[in-house]
Amino acid sequence: MNPEPFLQLDRVIHEKGRLGIMSMLAASPELSFTELRDALEMTDGNLTSHMRTLQEAGYVSVSKSYENNRPLTTCSLTPAGKKAFANYVNLLEQIVQQNKPK
Amino acid sequence: METNWAAEHLQVIRTLMERSAVYRRALAPVMTLNGAMGTGAALAGWVLKISSLRAFILFWACVGALAVAGSFLLVRRQALKESEPFWSPPTRRITQAMLPALVAGFIVGAVVWARVVSAPESLDNMLLMLWLALSWVVLYGCAFHAAGFFMPRGMRIFGWAFILGGCGLFALGIPDWADRFVYAHGIMGFFFGVLHLAYGVYLYFTEQRKNEM
Repeated sequence: MNPEPFLQLDRVIHEKGRLGIMSMLAASPELSFTELRDALEMTDGNLTSHMRTLQEAGYVSVSKSYENNRPLTTCSLTPAGKKAFANYVNLLEQIVQQNKPK
Repeated sequence: METNWAAEHLQVIRTLMERSAVYRRALAPVMTLNGAMGTGAALAGWVLKISSLRAFILFWACVGALAVAGSFLLVRRQALKESEPFWSPPTRRITQAMLPALVAGFIVGAVVWARVVSAPESLDNMLLMLWLALSWVVLYGCAFHAAGFFMPRGMRIFGWAFILGGCGLFALGIPDWADRFVYAHGIMGFFFGVLHLAYGVYLYFTEQRKNEM
């Protein structure tokens, strides 16, 4: 078995919580912090911590605005994040393929 | 072992992406309801001889309002049944996508209604009635096409059917043989009734098959 795809997996995305965030954002142009938190059933602190890691890796951009006089935090994938996520999914598919019984 | 976690990860990704992006309410009942209402309304329009432009606009605006209310109730019932929020992000995105074209249709109808001259049976008004019906068809198609980016791909094709059908009838003009008010109700009945019913039946079988998979 070729261990190469497994070794190439992006550790930033590989963590369960961050994988959830990346998956949600990959399918949507942008999502609010609240939408992500509710959909992934995370606490504010947990989501903030994961978002910070993803931001530091350059995968997610966060913008703050106001809607009906209330602060609104919106998250979206950066081009680098989209590329990294597509690469991660490709590697997972390779792992599944190479371990399929022939 | 490794295959299992990789496959599980892929499944998690797929599920989350679907949850994030795709509208998951069953649309067959919504389409069937709207189709039945559209067909029934067209028949009622013929039988009741709703032939003045103002009455035509008012009549179809009421049918539209009832159809929207009925659709929301059906969607809400499904959401409650699945213990999910009614006003979910996909529902909100779809509403936002559909709104500009639907508002444009409403404004066009309201403007025409307000500007109709006193002679309700004049030829100009009868032409306006047909053009209004076709404008609604095309704008409704645009609304569905926009919503189709957050729904199964078939919705965009459904939107295109309205856009191309409406534009095609614009290009063909008004046939000499047709009684104009009957023709206008016929256009509404065909697009908002028959097409919805046909798509509802198609969805009934395809959505059921998807659920069984």
